[in-house]
Amino acid sequence: MRSIITFLRRDARHFQIFFLAGFLAYGIAVLQWDAEWQRYLILFGTCLAVQTLFIRWKKLPWHSIKSAMVTGLGMSLLLKAGAPWVLALGAAVAITSKFLFRIDGKHVFNPGNLGIAAAILLTGQAWVSPGQWGSGATLVFLVGAAGCMVVLRVGRIDTSLAFLGAFAALDFARQVIYLGWEPEVWLHRMTNGALLLFTFFMITDPMTTPKAQGARIGWSIAIAVLAFLLGWKYWVNATPIWALLIVSAITPMLDRIWKGEAFRWLKSSDQAHLSVKSSPQVPSPLR
Amino acid sequence: MKTTLLLALALMAQQASAFCGFYIAKADATLFNDRSEIILVRDGQRTILTMSNDFKGDVKDFALIVPVPTVLQRDDIKVVERRVFDALDAYSSPRLVEYYDENPCQRWLYAEAAEMDMSAAPRTTSAMRREEKAAKDKGVTIEARYTVGEYDILILSAKESTGLKDWLIENGYRIPQTAHEVLDPYIKSNLKFFVVKVNLQQLSASGYNTLRPIQIRFESHKFMLPIRLGMANSNGSQDMIVHAFTRTGRVECVNYRTVKVPTDRNIPLFVKQRFGPFYKDLFARAHRREGRNTVFLEYAWNVTPSFNGMKCDPCVGPPPMPMEFEQAGADWSQQGAPTFYTRLHVRYARDQFPQDLVFQVTPNTEHFQARYVLTHPAKGELTCSEGQDYLEQLYYRRHRELEELNALTGWNVEKHRDYANEVKGRMSPGQLRKMEAPLGFPLKRPGGPSAPLMIAIVAGIALALLMIRDRSQLGAA
Repeated sequence: MRSIITFLRRDARHFQIFFLAGFLAYGIAVLQWDAEWQRYLILFGTCLAVQTLFIRWKKLPWHSIKSAMVTGLGMSLLLKAGAPWVLALGAAVAITSKFLFRIDGKHVFNPGNLGIAAAILLTGQAWVSPGQWGSGATLVFLVGAAGCMVVLRVGRIDTSLAFLGAFAALDFARQVIYLGWEPEVWLHRMTNGALLLFTFFMITDPMTTPKAQGARIGWSIAIAVLAFLLGWKYWVNATPIWALLIVSAITPMLDRIWKGEAFRWLKSSDQAHLSVKSSPQVPSPLR
Repeated sequence: MKTTLLLALALMAQQASAFCGFYIAKADATLFNDRSEIILVRDGQRTILTMSNDFKGDVKDFALIVPVPTVLQRDDIKVVERRVFDALDAYSSPRLVEYYDENPCQRWLYAEAAEMDMSAAPRTTSAMRREEKAAKDKGVTIEARYTVGEYDILILSAKESTGLKDWLIENGYRIPQTAHEVLDPYIKSNLKFFVVKVNLQQLSASGYNTLRPIQIRFESHKFMLPIRLGMANSNGSQDMIVHAFTRTGRVECVNYRTVKVPTDRNIPLFVKQRFGPFYKDLFARAHRREGRNTVFLEYAWNVTPSFNGMKCDPCVGPPPMPMEFEQAGADWSQQGAPTFYTRLHVRYARDQFPQDLVFQVTPNTEHFQARYVLTHPAKGELTCSEGQDYLEQLYYRRHRELEELNALTGWNVEKHRDYANEVKGRMSPGQLRKMEAPLGFPLKRPGGPSAPLMIAIVAGIALALLMIRDRSQLGAA
């Protein structure tokens, strides 16, 4: 048990993989989703395969395969399609984009986000189901708690809070203050599982958020405002996904204006830990 | 006076059950409307909404108010025949299918049958002017006024809910006291109000005894059903069946979960006579289990007239005819363009459904039907050894059917134990000894491992692999 905790704490992606898999399990076991093993396998498999190709080609460290796992799981939770090739396309676009759309040594788009958008826009045969999570109290607690653990470890809690805060405030202003709905209407909207998952597991990807904290907060608020406007004016569903895609395009610009330290999945102490020949029994320096 | 008021409120509580709007009565009539049906066609930005109801009171008391996104034109409003709903309902209802076991001692016979049991005063111009002036004073504008079929229709827009409420009350519509709470958000969302009353003259001239469904069409981004108005002063739950048609695929709810009703279950033969109550209880149980806040999928099928695949399996009613699609509003279907049919069933109550239902059209063309299976035992002599083994399996199968029935509906199956035990009467003493009076019955449904188990296994393997990988990296680096 202790070794599992040590293992999870070594890399934030371990937490992400653990929790995303947990949500998938929750969806199938509790929320009665169809267990579409074929879909999960295609998404997950394609992500790993494409990542492997790039690792070989670009001689990257093997631990980057974990990022592909996160993407694969995240897409399994969100993307649905009528044909297997659409899923494979989405997953391939997601991983490839990390290596093709690069500015200043950083990839521009959140891989899962771009993969989903590409599958929907390019084929017209894919969709996301924002309603599949419902607004169950247990889920809210689970996603919130798990999400906090992950983002705190990654250090991107500011992104989550700024986005959710801004989005919730705008929606409250419209639904409750202006339209006059009861607060529970607003609460029902805010406890949507898909929104929370987006808040804690997609927007927080440290590789595609701006490096400087101030820029990051502004960027998150911009996503919230855009998501709110798209939903209100154009009645678009799953708006945060589209808002993130659009706002991500300006991330490199924000990085040039506001400098910050680039994020690395393994902290320098971990890197050193990896580079020194040490026995696996050595406790994690993070403790 | 006080007594009268209390009485009125009590009556209103009964009346306020309707789909998009609430029925509002002009007199103390006893209304009953626990199930409404909607045909919802979505084609691009175009929505065609057909509303049917089982209004049982005096027709002169019938009134309906539905928020709509635009001022509807005369051509946007139609009255359609009730039989469109009947045809759709008959076709897409949950179904019971019968199979016959082959006799292992003889040649086998096969038959399939299906059963379906799911029935489920002319106004003067001066009066109009007075009405309009009074309306204007209250911030209510009568945008349009039509007589369509047996209905008098007004399209109202309002500046604020109190004015609208007062206007409705002054014009003889009794509306719930709490209605303004929901009217306000609709007014501010720039919605108009489609208000319907029965034109008694037209009704008697038409020769119809019942009120026909009303169909409206409009262009809007908004793809939703405003159910909140119907719940304005009702604490009870209401049922709504939505027959949705699109060009691409299934319709699903965006702000509530869309869940499939349990399907393809083997149930005891005696359910045949009580399939209606069976499905009713099954639905109630599924509704409770899912937290009372889900939308249920009962049917999803490609119904394109030119579609060569199976139209249903089994069909409980003839597939809809092109003319019926046309009447339903899916007018593209007649040209042979793809048409997908989704049947949704939602049981909603105020506390669990704070938001109106919002939908989306998906490209999901996966077929689904609510289907329950009866399997008749083999007929004839079963004295051969295969026949005796068959009887043993039949015995266990019947136990499983009883357990399934209990799990689906909550019915007490203890009194039906004979259903399984009678099979023993046909077994030879030798076969009975072989069975050795089992202590328990195999309750698990046949099939692969359960989903949670699979997940646990996969997650365990993944975690173990990751840990190994991580450790080997630490060692190798």
